[in-house]
Amino acid sequence: MAESNLDLFIRVAEKASASVLQDCDTVFAATYISEHLTGTLLLPHSPSLQRLGIQDTLAQAGVNLVTGDVRQQAAAAGGGLTGANFGIADTGTIVLESTDEATRLASTLPEQHFVLLDPGKILVDGIAAVAPLRALHQRDARNFIAYITGPSRTADIERVLTIGVHGPKQLHILLLPGISDDPLEN
Amino acid sequence: MDKKRNQLYRTQIDQALATPKLQQALHQFGDTYLLARENAFAGLDFEALRTDISDMKDKVRDNLEHYLDEFCRNAEAAGATLYHAASAQQANDYIAQLAVTKGAKLVVKSKSMASEETHLNDALEKAGTRVLETDLGEWIIQLAGQRPSHMVMPAIHMFKEEIAELFGKETGQEEPAEIEHLVEVARQQLRQSYLDADIGITGANIAVAETGGIALVTNEGNARLTSTLPATHVVLVGIEKLVPTLEDAAKIVQVLPKNATGQLLTSYVTWIRGAVPSGDGTKDLHIVLLDNGRRTLAASPNCKAALNCIRCGACANVCPVYQTVGGHVFGHIYIGAIGIILTAFYHGLEHAAELVRACIGCRACVTVCPSKIDLESIILSLREQVGDAEGIGAGKALVFRKVMRNRKLFHSLIRAASLLQKPVTRGERTIRHLPLFFSSLTEWRTLPTVAEKPLRDLFDNLPQQVEQPRYKVALYGGCANDFIYPELGIDLVTVMNRLDIQVSYPKEQNCCGIPALYSGDKETAVEMAKQNIDALLKDDPDFVLTTCPTCTIALQRDFVEHLHDNPAWVDKARRLAAITVDAASFIVNQLQAADRFEGLPGPERVTYHDACHLKRGVGVWQEPRELIRATGAELVEMEHADRCCGFGGSYSFTSHPDISKNILNDKLKDIENSGADCVAMDCPGCLMQIRGGLEKQEKKTRAVHTIELLAERLKTKS
Ligand code: SF4
Repeated sequence: MAESNLDLFIRVAEKASASVLQDCDTVFAATYISEHLTGTLLLPHSPSLQRLGIQDTLAQAGVNLVTGDVRQQAAAAGGGLTGANFGIADTGTIVLESTDEATRLASTLPEQHFVLLDPGKILVDGIAAVAPLRALHQRDARNFIAYITGPSRTADIERVLTIGVHGPKQLHILLLPGISDDPLEN
Repeated sequence: MDKKRNQLYRTQIDQALATPKLQQALHQFGDTYLLARENAFAGLDFEALRTDISDMKDKVRDNLEHYLDEFCRNAEAAGATLYHAASAQQANDYIAQLAVTKGAKLVVKSKSMASEETHLNDALEKAGTRVLETDLGEWIIQLAGQRPSHMVMPAIHMFKEEIAELFGKETGQEEPAEIEHLVEVARQQLRQSYLDADIGITGANIAVAETGGIALVTNEGNARLTSTLPATHVVLVGIEKLVPTLEDAAKIVQVLPKNATGQLLTSYVTWIRGAVPSGDGTKDLHIVLLDNGRRTLAASPNCKAALNCIRCGACANVCPVYQTVGGHVFGHIYIGAIGIILTAFYHGLEHAAELVRACIGCRACVTVCPSKIDLESIILSLREQVGDAEGIGAGKALVFRKVMRNRKLFHSLIRAASLLQKPVTRGERTIRHLPLFFSSLTEWRTLPTVAEKPLRDLFDNLPQQVEQPRYKVALYGGCANDFIYPELGIDLVTVMNRLDIQVSYPKEQNCCGIPALYSGDKETAVEMAKQNIDALLKDDPDFVLTTCPTCTIALQRDFVEHLHDNPAWVDKARRLAAITVDAASFIVNQLQAADRFEGLPGPERVTYHDACHLKRGVGVWQEPRELIRATGAELVEMEHADRCCGFGGSYSFTSHPDISKNILNDKLKDIENSGADCVAMDCPGCLMQIRGGLEKQEKKTRAVHTIELLAERLKTKS
């Protein structure tokens, strides 16, 4: 039997050095984050995360949250938490519409990036991803859309692959079934 | 030719060759790259993907203004400011002026080859703005005061110890030469600058007409920071980066990382359209669309395909010349095969004049290019242009124009050479040492002598007894077979007779013209094409056989190209192309006679060297292997069987003997490691090179043409 999109996504994302956690719920996600996070957590606005009420769960788990004006505190934060619009299986990629500046900061500056993705929103490949990519372009006049595959990396010194250069050093993808079925939201 | 420029270039080659560590690193990279690339494309049809990209890029190039308009309209609607820069200078002036207007003290940059092309950093520094490269490789070379030696991995030529020293100067303390540590130093050193910078400058891998947005394909995350944190974002992008739709962009994103480094996808692909939110307002987004020779390139009938390049850098990765001397020698700003072409158009033909001759013509790049660019042919046509502009050298011009075009004169001179060489040959078939200033030619390989009697003189006396000839076949010997290795022609007759084929040798045939063409003298090449077409078609043969793949390409392809707009000749050229076939393929495909060699005395361990022009020019590599196996020999594959042997005709004699020697040594090592007793090949040029190298190093392994091997077996049997 052919590998499912989900299995393919997990296999390839892990190969790209992302950590992937399956079958999470809100409490598990909050606990996981609190256990792995060093420092404060940037939490930019995200519809799916808001519906989940993850902010409160995180606070209960003792996570030190930064909301609101993220820009001032972004550089000092330890991690960022975002949703994801959808995933791409054959490259193990998460797609994050991040036109909102806070979302961008949360996913670029800190050393850790935590992502909550609904496993039902995984498309097979980059060609299949064009439809939602175009829909996002049609919905918004201006866009900043990120395909993120594993943590930041470089091979610029002696061609040796080294994880974590300017962007996040860790990418944690937590799969939460049922949090969103709309690839246009994250 | 410019003497001073040439001397400087020679010195650079010598320096590069004196750095074995660099060569070793580039060779290793070439090997790991090919493996990673193969894995990345597993399950995908590379040929189909690249045909798609090539067709799409053709369409864009031929309708450039249309897509440019569409892009600009959409980008402007999304709040971007567009600037059309006709030249590097205009682009730099615009960006420097912007920096001045903004009172910018610090600019952070992510990697952009276009900005290397225009020397943007210099322009900004002159305007009083500090520029900081944030891509790790770019930062390293900025600190070292150098230029990139690879388009994707700019600091591939540097080693961790040198980098630790550079970083130590920045941090004011000693930095250990450990890669992970050095990467962390870069992170810490550059971090604050993203926050402090007034302007962020990026390139763009793709510009999408449909949306008016760009895509950045990156790994480190610095481009995301550069385009996010500063209030102003400048995108410097060459107009060739346009694609019509998001689907087209997705196709490039699918192929680019796989072909560049063997990654399935880079860590980040960032799609940016318009002035996005930034701080309390919106980003000031400027898109500078760079021409700087691109429209001229788009209009060049012979070179325009080079504009389809998506800058994956693969053409350098697989290039034996690049692996031998690196990108600082084999490149100007852009490096490798594509670099030669872009240099000619973006920086001027004079900067490419040496480089066009540095290509050995092995076509390794052509097979990996995701835009299906025939880099070798374009480089050849540039060589013609340089030849026209600068002359091809008085000596060569005399030989080609006055001598080679006059077959009788040419041939009588070769005969005279056979007599003149007597004092140094000591009666042997190879020359081990040449006197005086010719001595460098035999330092690293022996050279075959010019035969006492050429094939053309021997041919009529060959006993050919074929009762019922199956086909009328003419042999096209080419210079090597005729004058250097006549025994190869005799062996071919032996083999063919055994397969019931009678062979004729049309005496009016002349050199195929490739040496003239490769040296930039097309006129002579065209003249030779005509002479050969007449000679070979005269008796209306069913097939014309060749033993040299370079000749095969000339007969099958080049003659038609030379004469395609000459109505008196084009049909004849096509006819000759249609009936020309290399000897091994003829036996396997037309005669289906491989099994006739079965059961002959063996066994020997034979390894096979793919001649560049046979495998990548003619598309033949299985047939000779089938024949070798058929003889009962054990075929053992060497590593890099299809890597160039370094011959390249005059490349190894006059233009780049030192590079040639190094590439040959790689080949000899691979042959030795295969453990074979014999290396077979289907090209007299490779034979000259490899046999010469093996003999000089006194190796036991012998080098043979596949046809010789077959004839040998037949003779031992009877
Ligand atoms: S010419 Fe082809 S192989 Fe070379 S960089 Fe461009 S796309 Fe890549």
